[in-house]
Parts: sequence; C-alpha cells; structure tokens
Amino acid sequence: MRIRSLLLAGLLAVGVVAAMPSVAHAASGNHAEEVFECVEEAIEANTRGNRVDYTGFEHDLEDCKKAKSLVTPALPEIIWGGLAFLIVLAVLMKFAFPALKKGLKDREDKIRDDLESASRAREDAEAEAATYRAQIGDARSEANVIIEDARADAERIRREVVTRAEAEAADIRERAQEDIRLAQERAMSDLRAQVTDLSIGLAERVVERNLDRDTQVALIESYINSVGNETR
Amino acid sequence: MVLGELLPNVNELFEWKGIFGPNTAFEFNKVALMAFVSTIICIALFWIGGTRRKLVPTGVQNVAEAGYLAIEENVSIAAMGDEGRKWTPFFATLFFWIFFINIWSVVPFIQFPATSRLAIPLFLAIVSWMTFIVTGFVKQGPKYFFSNINPSGVPFALKFLVIPIEFFSKYLLRPLTLAVRLFANMTAGHVLLAIFAIMTNELLVKHNSGLYQVIFSPLPFLGLVAFTAFEILVAVLQAYIFTILTAVYINESVHPEH
Repeated sequence: MRIRSLLLAGLLAVGVVAAMPSVAHAASGNHAEEVFECVEEAIEANTRGNRVDYTGFEHDLEDCKKAKSLVTPALPEIIWGGLAFLIVLAVLMKFAFPALKKGLKDREDKIRDDLESASRAREDAEAEAATYRAQIGDARSEANVIIEDARADAERIRREVVTRAEAEAADIRERAQEDIRLAQERAMSDLRAQVTDLSIGLAERVVERNLDRDTQVALIESYINSVGNETR
Repeated sequence: MVLGELLPNVNELFEWKGIFGPNTAFEFNKVALMAFVSTIICIALFWIGGTRRKLVPTGVQNVAEAGYLAIEENVSIAAMGDEGRKWTPFFATLFFWIFFINIWSVVPFIQFPATSRLAIPLFLAIVSWMTFIVTGFVKQGPKYFFSNINPSGVPFALKFLVIPIEFFSKYLLRPLTLAVRLFANMTAGHVLLAIFAIMTNELLVKHNSGLYQVIFSPLPFLGLVAFTAFEILVAVLQAYIFTILTAVYINESVHPEH
C-alpha cells in the first residue's frame, strides 16, 4: 500500500515538473538551436510591421548570448532521473529491504532463542547442581549417622565383651579359689592323717605301749588342732 | 581576471551531450547514466546484502545491514520515534540513492555529481513534498491542509501573519529549499573542485614560471586534495540532510501536535 502511494507520488512529481514552463524551455534542443530560436524570437518581438525596434532587438540579442541558466531543470534528466529513482525505490522496498529485514529479524530471533535456551540450560544446571548438593548433604549426614551407629554398636559390644570377660574372669577366679580351698582342705586332711599316723608311730616307739590306742588318738587330735590353729 | 581567462564557460562543467536521443525529451546523457548506475549499485548492494544469511555479517552484508540500521536509528527513529521504523525503507532508499549520485563528484574520470543539475534534486524534493502532503491527508483528512498552517497557541491577531507565512513555508518553500539546498551544495562543490583542478593543471603542468611556480604550484594541489575529502563529507551530509528533513516533514504530517 505504502509503496504504491510512493510510486504514485513519484509519478505525480514527474507530471508536476514536466508541466512547468521552464522545463518545456529546457527541452528545446542544443545550444546552437536554442540561440537560433532565441534570435528568431527577438526579431519577431521587435518587429512591428515595417518598423524595427533596434534597441530592443540589441537587448534581446544580448540575452540570447548569455549562458543558459544553471537552475533550469532539464526535462530528459527529470524523466531518466525520476525513472531511475522510482526503479530503485520499487525494487528495494518490494524485494531487497523485506529480505534484509527478514534476515535481521531471523538473526534477532535466533540470538534471543539462543540466549533464552542458554539461560534455561543454566537454570537447569543450577537446579541439578542444587539437587546434587542436597544429595551429597544427605549422603554425608547418612554417613555420619551410620558412623555414629557403628561407634555406638562398637561401644556397646566392647562393654558387653568387657562385662562378659570380667564375669568370666570373676567366675574363673572364684572357681580357682574354690579349687584351692578344696585342695587345701584335702591337703590338710591328708596331712592330718599322715601326721596322726607318724605321731602314733612315734609315740608308740617312745612310750612302747603305755597308752591305749584311743587315748593316743585323742591326744594326737588335740595336738593337731592346736597346731592347725597356730598355722592359720 | 586570471581565473576568467582560465575557466571555460560554466555551462561546460554541467552540460552533457546526449548519448542517445539528442535534442528530444528522452535525451539520455551522462546525468541519466549516473542516475541509472547509482540505481544499479543501490539495488546490488541491498539485494546481495539482504539475501545473505550469515550470523556474523561480513562484507556487503555488513555494509547493507549497518547502512539500513544506521538510517533507522539516525533518521527514522530520531525524527519520528518508533513509528518511523516502517518508513525506514523509504528513507534508506532516499539516502543511499542521493549519496551514490552525489559521490560521483569524487570518482576519478567521472567527477561530476548528478545532483549538481537541478533536475534530480527537484524531482526528489517534489517526491518528498508530495509524500508528506499525501501522508498528512491520509492521516488527518482534509483538515490537515489548514491545521498544518495554523499552529495552536498563536494569538488571534497574529494568525493573519502566521498563517500566510506557514502556508508559503510549508506548501511552497519546502520543496524549493530541499531541492536548492542539495543542488547548490553539490554545484558549489563541483565548481570548487573544477577551479582547483584547473589551477593545479595550469601551475603544475602548463606554466613554467621558475621560482613562482615552485613556491605556489603545490598550493592548489593541496587545496584540491582537501576539497576532495571535504566533498565526500558534503556528499554524505547533503544526503543525510535531505533524508532527515523529509522524515521531519513526514513526522509533522503524522503527528500534527508536534
């Protein structure tokens, strides 16, 4: 719509300029031809029947000799220049600039998408890293719990072992003391019997049957008991 | 006086014989040829640049995209705001085509800006003029023609003065000033370069005046180099001025409150 308006404006511009009287003058041929026509016009303008205005003719002739004004636009240049501009305007606005704008837009979209996906990837990575960190934290605390449990178990087991060992040791000691005591009693009993026998034999030899057997035994028992009391 | 003897008739700097169709309304001369070559360059630049799809633009694609975006930023948006974006293709065409027909002034062996003839600047000015008038009419309806020349806030008594001034300024003088500004600048630049080129030729090549020549002959040559550089600046600047003024005028038609 806009390009059609502009082309219409361009065509109107050509029309307006072409309609200007000065332009029509500019299109009237080469310099010699223009001078010739100018002289003819000067003759015609200064001739009234048979009378000729030589002063006026001389003045007009001087004007004819003057260079053509630089500010007079030439119609062919307007036509060709205008056509060249309208062509460039139409081609660029219809084909080149839309393609260029599409390229810029595509690039802008691609860069925006890349930035957004990079941002999303970074957010994902950060979230994943946070998850990993949390998992590592959980694993550490779990490991700590396991270690604490292991320590507690080890302590408990140690105490149990020590307690059991102490109990066994006490039991062993007790049994040993009992064995010692029994052995001692047995030894004492054996000793007592042997001492009794020895004493009887000795006494028999000393007194040679002065005492009966029951008296001797009672005497010896009494002696042994006194000896046993002394040894404790 | 010396220059008068050296320089040819000034029309010889601007008049060109027809390549074909001489002395007719369709005479095709150097100006027309330059206009068409500029058209081809513009189309080639933006066609090639616009159809390439490299993610990181280089070469022609880079020039085309950077040029288009520069016009969008510095003309369309600067003069019309965000609404100006849809006008960028028109402004970019205007700017680059004017630039290419201006820049012929410094291209070796051509050295003539097509805009130093009034025809093309006048045509472009009328295109610009009709565009902003048609746009104003489309956007605001028939009231545009009066509201455009009747600024608000002006005391009633002053309106008798302001309205005629605005009428002449906006409807008659704008196309004229647009055309004359471009044409006169390019004409002056072309004449200046021609004068310095002729002086350089006379002093460095033709004359042999001993010490005088040794001392003074480099001066016009240095002037020629400097003015050639200046002419490149003028070619860009005049294309920009023409385009941004067109954008400002269109903006006035689109937003009457401004």
